[in-house]
Amino acid sequence: MHELLLGLFAAAPLLVPLPATDEPELALLDHQSLTSALAELGSAHPEVATVLNVGTSREGRAIDAIQLSSGDEPGKPAILLVANLDGPDVFDSVVALEHARRLATSYGDDEAITELLRSTTILIIPRANPDAAEARFAATQYERLLGGRGVDNDRDGRSGEDPPSDVDGDGVIVKMRVVDPEGIWIVDPTDERALVKADRKQGEEGKYRVVTEGRDLDGDERIAEDPLLDTRLNKNFPSGWEEHGQDAGLFPSDEPEVRALMEFVMARDDIALVTCYGAPENLVEKPKSVKDDARSVMRIPPAGILQSDADMLAVIAKDYQMLTSNTAKRKARDAGTFQRWAYDHRGLLTLSAVLWEMPEKWAPKKAKGEESSDDESDAESDEETEDATEEMAAEESDEDSPVGDLDKLGYAEGAEGEEDDDAKPKRKAAKGAKAGKKNAKKKKDEPKPSMEAKRLRWIDGSKESWRFVDWKSFEHPELGTVEIGGFAPYALHEPPKSEWSEIAEREFKFLTSLGSYLPRLELTECVANDLGGGLWRIEATVENHSLLPLQSRSARRTRTIRPAKLMLTLPAGAELLGGQARELISDLAGSGGREELVWLVRASSADQIEVSIESVNAGGATVRPEVQ
Amino acid sequence: MLLLALSLAALQAPATPDYDGFPGLGASRKPIVEIPWNRLYDYDEIYAHLDRLVAQWPEMLSMEVIGHSIESRELRVYTLNNPETGSAESKPAMWIDGNVHGNEVQGGEAVVYTAWYLLENYASNEQVRALVDRTSFYLLPMVNPDGRASWFTGAHTAHSSRTGVMPIDSDRDGLLDEDPPNDLDGDGSIVQMRKHMPGEGTHRLDPDDPRIMNRVPTNDRGIRGDWIYLGQEGIDDDGDGRINEDDVGGYDMNRAWPSMWMPGHVQYGAGPYPLYWPEARCIARFLYEHPNVAAVQSFHNTGGMILRGPGAESFGTYPRGDLRVFDELGAEGEKMLPFYRYMIIAKDLYTVFGGFATWTYEGLGIISFTNELWTMDRNSPDERVEGGNAGRLWFDDNLLQGAGFVDWHPYDHPFYGEIEIGGFKKDVGRVPPTFLIEEMLHRNAMFCLRHARAMPEIEIEEPVLTDLGDGVTAIDVVFRNLNPIPTRTARAASESIGAPDLFTIEGEGVEVLAGGVRSDRFRPERISLAEREPERLVRDSGIGGRQELRIRWFLRGTGTVRIQHSSEKSKDVALEVSLD
Repeated sequence: MHELLLGLFAAAPLLVPLPATDEPELALLDHQSLTSALAELGSAHPEVATVLNVGTSREGRAIDAIQLSSGDEPGKPAILLVANLDGPDVFDSVVALEHARRLATSYGDDEAITELLRSTTILIIPRANPDAAEARFAATQYERLLGGRGVDNDRDGRSGEDPPSDVDGDGVIVKMRVVDPEGIWIVDPTDERALVKADRKQGEEGKYRVVTEGRDLDGDERIAEDPLLDTRLNKNFPSGWEEHGQDAGLFPSDEPEVRALMEFVMARDDIALVTCYGAPENLVEKPKSVKDDARSVMRIPPAGILQSDADMLAVIAKDYQMLTSNTAKRKARDAGTFQRWAYDHRGLLTLSAVLWEMPEKWAPKKAKGEESSDDESDAESDEETEDATEEMAAEESDEDSPVGDLDKLGYAEGAEGEEDDDAKPKRKAAKGAKAGKKNAKKKKDEPKPSMEAKRLRWIDGSKESWRFVDWKSFEHPELGTVEIGGFAPYALHEPPKSEWSEIAEREFKFLTSLGSYLPRLELTECVANDLGGGLWRIEATVENHSLLPLQSRSARRTRTIRPAKLMLTLPAGAELLGGQARELISDLAGSGGREELVWLVRASSADQIEVSIESVNAGGATVRPEVQ
Repeated sequence: MLLLALSLAALQAPATPDYDGFPGLGASRKPIVEIPWNRLYDYDEIYAHLDRLVAQWPEMLSMEVIGHSIESRELRVYTLNNPETGSAESKPAMWIDGNVHGNEVQGGEAVVYTAWYLLENYASNEQVRALVDRTSFYLLPMVNPDGRASWFTGAHTAHSSRTGVMPIDSDRDGLLDEDPPNDLDGDGSIVQMRKHMPGEGTHRLDPDDPRIMNRVPTNDRGIRGDWIYLGQEGIDDDGDGRINEDDVGGYDMNRAWPSMWMPGHVQYGAGPYPLYWPEARCIARFLYEHPNVAAVQSFHNTGGMILRGPGAESFGTYPRGDLRVFDELGAEGEKMLPFYRYMIIAKDLYTVFGGFATWTYEGLGIISFTNELWTMDRNSPDERVEGGNAGRLWFDDNLLQGAGFVDWHPYDHPFYGEIEIGGFKKDVGRVPPTFLIEEMLHRNAMFCLRHARAMPEIEIEEPVLTDLGDGVTAIDVVFRNLNPIPTRTARAASESIGAPDLFTIEGEGVEVLAGGVRSDRFRPERISLAEREPERLVRDSGIGGRQELRIRWFLRGTGTVRIQHSSEKSKDVALEVSLD
C-alpha cells in the first residue's frame, strides 16, 4: 500500500555491542556514512578497491559501486552484486559493504581472495536505492518502499494529500485496526495480537478493518490512501513492466536510479554474472522456467528462465544452499524488476537471495500432560510446511497478513486492496483464486495459528520484542476509538543483530565461490601441419571447462553480449586460402565445451602465425601454433 | 453553392494590404512569408522557414529547444497560440511531428506547412481564426534531424538513413558502423550492383526494358540467367567477408516508446530500454509535461496510410468509445486524402512494438494518428500504367525525363571485378516529385486541422433554477462537449491517466448541500449523489464526445454562484448565475 512517511522507532533496539574483536562491528549506515565507508575503503586499498559512481538518485544522493580487482587480464570477467533495491532491505547493504571490506582487506593476505581478484572483478553496489533506504534513519520509523513522482492514487484530483502518518506520535507508523461491521478480519484464536480473515463460508463474521496508520486528511472517509510518492524502484525496469500498473512508474527507466543502474550494467560489458540481495529470489525456490525453444505468443516470448539457464541456476542454487543453509524466501512477482531485466534483456544469469526471513515457531501438538516447547520450530511439522509452501505459491492470494508489512511491500501482491481496507489502490489488484483454501484447511481440526501468530511466537521466544508493537487503544481524530499496532517497521527485514556476522560470512563464502563458475576460454591443440608446397593447415580448439557456457541461452537470444572473436593473424606475405580470419563465437558450452577451427594458409614458414581468442568477459589468449 | 461560399468568404475577409482580389483557396497569391512548397528542405532550412514565421508573427509562434540529437542538432518545438485567447497550456493542444525516420523527410515540411497555413490565413479565414483562437499547436518538424541531415547530404537510397546516428555494432564484431554501403562511383547515390555472367546468373534482363532485371525461376532447370544481382553499392570495408553489414546507426526511434515496448531481440531497433535515445526522451518529457495535448499526428512515409494502433496484436482492441472517434476521423481522412487508407497497424500493416502514436494513445490517452505520406499510386491513377519497376520507369521517363534513374554503367569492383552500377535514386519511391509536394502537404495539413477541430470544447448551458422552498434552490447545469473527442478518452479514464475532470460550484453565502450527476433528463431524482464535497464533483470519465453531462446541485442561500468545469484537455469554462 501506500506509505510514505516515516520515522524513528523509539523502541528500536540499540544495537547490542558484540564482544570486541578485530573485525569492525557491522552496523546500519545512513547514506553519508555508507558513502564515507566506501570512500575510505577505496583510499585505504587503492591497489584493489575503486569507488565508481553509478548515478544519482531522484533526491540527489550519489549511488556508488565499489570495484574490487587487481590487474587487468584481457577479457577479465566481472561479477556484479546489487543490494538494497527495495528501500526496506537496508540490512542487505550491511552485508554487501562487509563483502567489499573483506575483499579489500584480505587481498594480499589471503591467497584465495588474491587469486580471485586477479582473475575476476567483483563489483558491488551496496545500496541501489539510497532515497528509500534513508527512511531507516529518520526520526519517525516506517518502511519506505516508494519513490518516484506523486500521482493521484485515489482519483480525487489531488495528489499525495492523504499519506500515512504517525497518528499516535509513538515514533512508528504501523497499522490501525478498527471495529467495523464491514471489516473482514477477526482475531486469531491462537494469538489475539494476530488477525486472520473471517471465513464467511464457515459462518464467521468479520470484526475489524485494518488500515495503515494515518489520518483522513482529505475527508474522503478513507485512511492514508493517497501517499506522496508512487513508484517502487524495483518495478520500474523494462522487462515485464506493467504499464499503468500500481507502483510501476510512468515509464520504464523513469526512476533515475533505474536508468543509472541499467546504463552501468550496459557500460560494463565485462559483467558475466549478476547477483542480487532482495526479492524476487531464485536460489532457494526454483523459479519458473520455459523450454529453450518455447514459442512466442503473438511475438512476445514467454516469461521465465530458459531451461538451459535454469539447469545452470539449479546447480548453483544447490551449491548456495549447501554453503549457506539459507532457506529464506519471499514471494514476489518479477515484473519490472532488475533481476528480470538483467536476465531477460541483457542475457546475464542473475542469482538472487533473500538474506533473512522471520522464523515461524509453534509448539506441535503434544499428548496430554506433555509440555509444549516453544523452541521447536513449526517448520518441522510436515503439515505446516505444506501450508507455508502453499502460501508462498499463492502469488496472487489474499494474503492474510494484515499486521505485517511484507504484503504491503508487494511481496504478496494482490493483497494490497484487501489488506488495507481503506487504501484502495487506483489499480486493480488481481484477486486470488485461492482465498479461503487455507482457512478451510484450518477448520478441519483445532484452530491453527496464522503465519503472524507463529512469527509472534518466535518474537516472544527471541527477546526481540521491538519487532511487534502491541495494539494500543487510541482516540483517532476521524475514526474514534482504534487500536494501533502491528509488526514494527523493518521487523520483517532485519535479522537479529546476533546473526549478522554469520549471514555476512556465509554469503561471503558464496560470493567468493562464484568466480569458479564463470566461463574461461582456453586455446588448446593449436597446431600447424606442413602440407608441403608452402601450404599449412592450422588447427585450434577453444575450450571452456567452467560450469557456465560462454553465453547464457538468454544472451544468445538477446544478442547483447559481444561474441568471442577467434582470430588468425598472418605475417606479411602469407595468404589465407581457407577459413575465416575472424570467427565470432557465442555458442560454446561449459564443462568442456569445444569449438575446433581449421585454416589453410600459404606461408614460407608457420613461425609468425598467431591464433588468438578475445572476449569481453571470458578471458583471452594468443598462441603460436605448434609446428608438426 | 460554391460561388456563394466564395463570395461570402471574400466579403468577410478583413482587408489586408496584400489583398489583391484573388486570394486563392489554399494559400494566398501574395503570402506574407513566401515559402516555395514544391521542394524539400534540409535541417537548417526547415528551422529557417519556421524562424521567419516566428519573426513575422512573434505573438503567435514561439520556439523552444527541448533537447538535442546525438550529433547535437536541436529538437525544437514551435508553439502556435494566440495569447489573446489564453496561454497555450490553457487550451487543448495538438502535437504534430515528422521525420522520426531520418529518410522520411517530407513529414518535416508537412509540419512547417501546417504552421504557415494557420498563420497566413488567421487574419482572413474565419474557420482558421476560430480554430486557432480556441486551441494551440505544438509543432516539432524533425524528430530525427541527424538522420535527415545524413539523408539530404549523404549518398543514400530511398530507404537508408531511417535510423539515428548513435554508433551501433550491428555485426557485433567490436567495431562500430565500420561497413556501410559505399558510393563507389562518387555520383552521390547509393544504387544497385549487378554482374554479367552469361549462362551462370540468377537474373535476366527484361526484354522490354533492359534496365529491369527479372529473376529466373529457380525451378526452370537447365535455363540460367546472364546476370547476378549483388545488392547495394558497396565493398567489404572491414574484411569480414560481408558487404555493407554494419551501416551507420542501426536502430529505429519509432520503436522506442514505452507502451507495448519490447527489447531489441524481439522488436528490431527498440534499443536497450524505452526512450533510450535523447531525441525520444526529450519528446516524451515534453508530452508528459503538457497534459493539455488532446490530439497527436505523426508524419512518416510512405504508402498512403492513416494509421492508428494497436501496434501489437497482444494489446487486444481499443475501447469502443475511443474507436468511434478514431473511425470518424479516419473516414474523414480517407476522403480528404485520396489514395490513403485508414488502417490498424497490427492488423493491416505489421506488428510494431513501442511505436510513437500507439504510445501517445495507450500511454497518454490521446487520440493519435500516423500518416504515411505519399504513395506511388499517386504517380498516375491511370490503370494502364503498370505497377512495379516498369511503372516507375514509365513515370520517370515521361514525367521526370529520366531524372530519377541512374543508368547502369560499368565499374571495376575490388572484389567482384567488372560489374555494373545503376538503379533508382534515393528520391524515387518515398518522396513525391517536386510538382506533387504541395498537394500532399496541404491535404495532410488540412487533416490535422480536422483532427484539431475535434478536440473537446465545453460549453455550459444557462442553468435552470428550481425553488424547493425553505431557501433551498436546485440548480440544473448542462455541460456540453461540442466536439467528437471526449475530455477524457476511455483509455485515459480506465487507466487513470492524468487528472480527472472537476465540476465545481461556489458562491459567497451559498451553501452546497448536495449534488451529483443526473442520469435522466426528465426525472431529476435519478441522480448519482456525491458522497462528499458536492461543490467539487470529480469525474474520471470526463465529458464524452458530443455528449452532455447534467449536474444538479442543491443550494441554500442567495447571491451569485460561479460554476466551472476544468479538464486537462479542454479550456476551462465558467459561468456566473444569480440565485436571486
